[in-house]
Amino acid sequence: MKVTIDADRCVASGMCAYSAPEVFDQSEEDGVVVLVQDSPSADQHEAVRTAARNCPAQVITLDQ
Amino acid sequence: MPHQIEELPALPVPRLEECPFGPPPEMAAFRERPGLTRVRCPTGITAWLVTRYQDVREVLGDSERFSSRPGQAAHVLAHMNPDLPIGEGEFTRMDGPEYQRFRRHFGPEIGMPKRLEELRPTVQRVVDERLDLMAAAGGTADFYADFAIPVTTTVIGGLLGVPYSDRKLFHDSAAAMFGSATSAGGLKAGTQPLFEYVHGLIRERRENPGEDAISRMIQRSAGAAEPFTDTELMRMSAGLLTSGWDTTATVMTHGLLALLSHPGELDRLRADPSLVPAAVEELARYFGGAPGLTREVVRDTDIGGHPVAKGDFVVLAVQAADRDPSAFEDPDRLDVGRPTDGHLGFGYGPHQCIGQQTARLELTVTLRTLLRRVPSLRLAVPLSDIRFKTGTPVYGPAALPVAWDAILPAEEGR
Repeated sequence: MKVTIDADRCVASGMCAYSAPEVFDQSEEDGVVVLVQDSPSADQHEAVRTAARNCPAQVITLDQ
Repeated sequence: MPHQIEELPALPVPRLEECPFGPPPEMAAFRERPGLTRVRCPTGITAWLVTRYQDVREVLGDSERFSSRPGQAAHVLAHMNPDLPIGEGEFTRMDGPEYQRFRRHFGPEIGMPKRLEELRPTVQRVVDERLDLMAAAGGTADFYADFAIPVTTTVIGGLLGVPYSDRKLFHDSAAAMFGSATSAGGLKAGTQPLFEYVHGLIRERRENPGEDAISRMIQRSAGAAEPFTDTELMRMSAGLLTSGWDTTATVMTHGLLALLSHPGELDRLRADPSLVPAAVEELARYFGGAPGLTREVVRDTDIGGHPVAKGDFVVLAVQAADRDPSAFEDPDRLDVGRPTDGHLGFGYGPHQCIGQQTARLELTVTLRTLLRRVPSLRLAVPLSDIRFKTGTPVYGPAALPVAWDAILPAEEGR
């Protein structure tokens, strides 16, 4: 799985960091998504899919 | 196409006395009918009613085609007049980068789960103290007035550094803001004291910053690409205070009523408290968005194949969308273990609920603690005797009389 983000559209909802904290973090300054892992391990895939589905600004793209 | 307003069907609004947990029953018929239906809203505007899950998600997710400019609840709140110009710092009506600037400024204060984790012990203490007070007062209480409102009021006040003794200011502003019939003048009268008070806090904390969200927003503003004016900082702070307590208290109370009325679901939680976060999402799906949301069409387009024209209003029936059988299996069943990914209970898109992470924390701590400390918790009156709030789109019980045999001590129960 390959994760890409389009941080320009991020609205700092925190949904990604809530769903998959090992893969997504947020900037202390503006709450914008920070990608910690662009190739998460298999045990993270379900959480990452949840994060992508629940992102209100559709910032997260998954390849696979 | 001209429409005869008087011939349009009325927007169905929740009637909890009749249907205590659900959207009004006729929503299902609107959802099953092809296309969209034009409805007459309580505030007098006419709008396309959108009820299907995919359509609601699409509209909320696309602010380039569907603007928040009319006001989030212009269909049910009389003071939200789509014709009024957007005031300084009135971010709830903004779109695109203009809105994002605000969202990213208060986001780190209340939208970061890792920072909110630091708040968890405080929320736990507030919840435990309220249960101690209930235990000391006797064997019955009104869960809404004696627990839910004090807990959520204490938490949002604590985040912003506003003492509990000053709560009347933001309780009054919420009563005005969320009163269905509040006039423009009534809104001004109801919010002005809070606005002046928060302006004062901003002046004070610019000189003497504390550890609260207002102080941090002031400090971070200096380094922002476009620093915020005092009025903008005031609007953000006052908005969080006004909107950050009764919404959560209401879903907490309505959610507890639902669980106490579905003992099988409560038993599942007792048997496996690790289901609590999933139960909170299910309660958000089940109740969230009951008032619906307004959008304005930015350019001629379509929604699910149905044409809508520039300038038309759209009402998104969020709760009905989350009860769409094409999105959730057996959607009217409360099921604390169901998959809820993609639910719209906190809305969707750039304007998705600002306080959702705080609400999750408060609801999770409350449910876990109730299961642990008050295993005998029950309704003190039959469900049919519960009365619901009127005159506000923050739909839920007006009071929730509960009873118990014993409230276990915080330490012992832990």
